[in-house]
Amino acid sequence: MSAFTMEDLFRIMRECAGEEEAVDLSSAAAEQEFSVLGYDSLALMEAISRVERGFGVELPEDTLGEALTPAAFVDAVNAALAGRTPAVEAAG
Amino acid sequence: MTAAARPLPVALLLPGQGSQHPRMAAGLYGHEPVFTAAMDEFFDAAGPEGGPLREDWLAERPATDMDHVTRSQPLLFAVDHALGRLLLSRGVRPAALLGHSIGELASATLAGVFGLRDATGLVLDRVRRLAEAPPGGMLAVAASTAEVTPYLSGDVVVGAVNAPRQTVLAGPDGPLDKVDRTLREAGFTCRRVPSLSAFHSPVLEPACRGAAERFAAVDRSAPSVPVHSAYTAAPLTGSDIDDPAFWARQPVAPVLFWPALEGLLATGDHLLVEVGPGQGLSQVARRHPAVRRGTSAVVSLLPARPGPPETDRSALEAAMARIETAGHPPDRPTARPPDRRTAGPPDRLTA
Repeated sequence: MSAFTMEDLFRIMRECAGEEEAVDLSSAAAEQEFSVLGYDSLALMEAISRVERGFGVELPEDTLGEALTPAAFVDAVNAALAGRTPAVEAAG
Repeated sequence: MTAAARPLPVALLLPGQGSQHPRMAAGLYGHEPVFTAAMDEFFDAAGPEGGPLREDWLAERPATDMDHVTRSQPLLFAVDHALGRLLLSRGVRPAALLGHSIGELASATLAGVFGLRDATGLVLDRVRRLAEAPPGGMLAVAASTAEVTPYLSGDVVVGAVNAPRQTVLAGPDGPLDKVDRTLREAGFTCRRVPSLSAFHSPVLEPACRGAAERFAAVDRSAPSVPVHSAYTAAPLTGSDIDDPAFWARQPVAPVLFWPALEGLLATGDHLLVEVGPGQGLSQVARRHPAVRRGTSAVVSLLPARPGPPETDRSALEAAMARIETAGHPPDRPTARPPDRRTAGPPDRLTA
């Protein structure tokens, strides 16, 4: 199970864009580029910062450049979360 | 998607400051005759400034920065207008126009409010005035107008409302940097807009004094199709058009793009076609509930990012194919008589 889901991302993107009306994006949306979904780099930058704060994870600098689609973004967050988990367990 | 019995009416979105880039739409120059002729008509109307404008437009590294007011404003106006003419020549008949910032002057020109020669003179007059204004800039903030208002200070104001949480601030460099830092410290995401002037802020007010006389001196006509103004968030009225100060103040007044887009889509669903460089207005429009639901749609004529010239041409053809699929065939059906009763929605924009 993923720690960070597509639903999490779309909820955050909606919050970043200030979309009051929750219109379900089709499942195909996960593979579309953010720009096609109406999210420009400013909205993406804010989404990254919200994910970092909300999920206690630091995303690599190039996440914005590499993750052009929601699917790639979710993978990048989960990779970062996976990289973090052992350290937390070791500390605990 | 197949052509519906009643295709969505087309509304053109014409971008302004922030969308410019070196060689924007230049891949169409020399390839698309109508676009090329419209650009040449503009350069010709620009008189002695036309040559340097064209050279800088076509240069990979312009002599004058493309973000400078003397380049961004006239060239955005010219490219938006020439793309609109190209669309008209392909048989697309817009039912409404909506421009952002300098895009509004391009909209008004396409709709016949101003002649191209007069409009070119007005744009160049505006640019000369703004070039004298104190240096400044613009800052896009991922926040609503209400969220940013407590942080405004000095001459820094809201210059544009692009989307519910995309607000652009404008002001002189020093105070704008200060607001930028304060906003970031408060956790807001900010990004500088490519602009070397504080468009849509009172800093430009002194420079715009006298511009009204120029607007008063040119012929103005009623638009052939509704032009939705991003300054009033409503279609241009006769009194807007008659008032020289309405036009002269545009570089100083805030751009209410989102409220204007809401007003446009409140009149009914549209096929929104972005007619200008980049896809900035398309991206914002895709957040509108009508587009999210799929009842309205968005098409961009040009690529999202600058690229080699052939990408301008392939993007244009892909966009034309989408417009055709949405029920707007490239040529007027010859079988149909030019009868107003069968012509349906507004169909009068003259190319």
